[in-house]
Amino acid sequence: MTTETVSGLPVTRGRCWYDVPAGARPGMRVPARVYADETLWEQISKDRSLDQLLNVATLQGVADCVYAMPDVHEGYGFPVGGVAAMDARTGVISPGGVGYDINCGVRLLATELEVERVGDRLEAVVHDLSRSIPSGTGRGGRLSLAAGELERVLNEGCRYLVQRGEATDDDLEVTEAHGSLARADAGVVSDRARTRGHDQLGTIGSGNHFVEVQAVDEVFDEAAAGLYGLRRGQLVILVHTGSRGLGHQVCTDYVRLMDQVMPRYGITLPDRELACAPLRSPEGQRYFGAMCAAANFAFANRQIITHRVREVFRRAFRDRGSVRLVYDVAHNMAKLEEHGGRELCVHRKGATRAFGPRHPETPPRYRAAGQPVFIPGSMGTASWVLAGTDGNMALSFGSTCHGAGRAMSRHAAKRVKSGSDVRHELEARGIVVRCGSTGDLAEEAPYAYKDVERVVGVVHDAGLARRVARLAPLGVVKG
Amino acid sequence: MAGTRSSIGRSGADARRGAEHELLAHTAEVKLRVRGPDFPALAAEAGRALAALELGGEPPPATGGAREIVLRAGDLGALLVDWLNELIYLAETERWVATEFTPQPGGALELRMRARGATVDTAPSRVKAATHHGLDVRATAGGVEAEVVFDV
Repeated sequence: MTTETVSGLPVTRGRCWYDVPAGARPGMRVPARVYADETLWEQISKDRSLDQLLNVATLQGVADCVYAMPDVHEGYGFPVGGVAAMDARTGVISPGGVGYDINCGVRLLATELEVERVGDRLEAVVHDLSRSIPSGTGRGGRLSLAAGELERVLNEGCRYLVQRGEATDDDLEVTEAHGSLARADAGVVSDRARTRGHDQLGTIGSGNHFVEVQAVDEVFDEAAAGLYGLRRGQLVILVHTGSRGLGHQVCTDYVRLMDQVMPRYGITLPDRELACAPLRSPEGQRYFGAMCAAANFAFANRQIITHRVREVFRRAFRDRGSVRLVYDVAHNMAKLEEHGGRELCVHRKGATRAFGPRHPETPPRYRAAGQPVFIPGSMGTASWVLAGTDGNMALSFGSTCHGAGRAMSRHAAKRVKSGSDVRHELEARGIVVRCGSTGDLAEEAPYAYKDVERVVGVVHDAGLARRVARLAPLGVVKG
Repeated sequence: MAGTRSSIGRSGADARRGAEHELLAHTAEVKLRVRGPDFPALAAEAGRALAALELGGEPPPATGGAREIVLRAGDLGALLVDWLNELIYLAETERWVATEFTPQPGGALELRMRARGATVDTAPSRVKAATHHGLDVRATAGGVEAEVVFDV
């Protein structure tokens, strides 16, 4: 291990991480660790990721250490790719530590189809997906909920969709928290949030959200892949979206509230977007209830999309068109979890829960492998299936990365190539593209992101998660 | 921790009111710097910048009547964020993008704005929210200046 000075901070370099001690900056209560190799560390050092991570280390009740995953980049308040756990008795909860897209997450759907047998029907399938699943910003879906129905989605999440025939008990078993957070309280979700969300269930949204048809390209852990029901050459679908406008408004409402009440609790911050309140305070409890409700909305959103995907595949392949949910996992969430005999409120902002084989929340059918984790690559590059490890509880509060991680601003990405150039390049590689705005495609081009293979390499080597399989893109539906 | 704080180009100005805005580099989001001779003019310019962001270019001409938006907050930073989040909410829920702004007399921590805009086919909520990150409204020799980060 070697220690160097970076921007005036003492940084100790480990095997695949960089540590900053608690005393490095006034106000830090715990040390900070960034998981990275030398190349990623260089990229991370170019923006304010580390600065933002050290700010998080000043929060009241923060436990043990704050972590940045190798895909970390500058965000607002918390860095995107940050993990921080707060003591549930003495610590705070921060809406900015979850983000505006509450329970943005990923789910993997597996078909029984071999890619080579789908052949020239792929384009029609991707086209039907784009027609059946609304994308684009603020665009409502076909499912408009009445007030009572929205209430039940907020309180019950996917459990309510089983009653409606849009989810199965089997789907719930392989969704984080069974797609239904018990602490959800629709009563503390504002009318504004409900108005933004009432017609958005079953929609992708914009930015880096997508539905992507992929092929299992390579299997690295046959046993784990077998448990997950994955094999080389299989056609699968990866869905990435969250709580849409409803979640955005919940965050907006509660950042505003906490910004106002912090003086009451004697909280001062290095950045206002870290606005927070003690978890046990009335405001902390209200936010937690609203956040869980928005998270249920996000689980339900991905489930309705799954229902639409199933309809598309049944239309296209009839009795061969079955679609099975492999797993659904969140990457913007605060959850109460037990770590080392303590109850902690673990904030994961652009980071994925990755519990190991022994954890009781790992679905029984996956206990021999660990909880599945899905890491979307940038558009046009590979995505990854990983498995959580038991050892990561001591390394990252049971967390791993959530994607490749942006390396370039959206504006800069658009200056490199036009959206139509990016589209033509993808199509030249045989990838079918359906998107709301070709002009915005360049924002999500591969060169705007870090190398996902390198990011996954670091989490594997650090023991945060294990490689299971690699997925290659075939067709993408984007907002 | 070298910050990426370079300007990526001036994006607009209202010479009549002496207001202007520019977008600053940010790895994942959009950071706006806005200047005006006073806070209401700054808020109006920030509204114009938001409309351009929402629509991905020059906003269409305003149609229809004006609506008056009145907001109050504990400080100017919070007032600016509330103002922008109000416009984001209206765009997403009513498909109404405010493009023309006329400040009205108001209290010290109150914003009264008459706004006209355009109704668009698809709700353009490309911007999820205005955040409090690095929020700073400061007096300058020419008036006031602020920076605000949008989650996009």
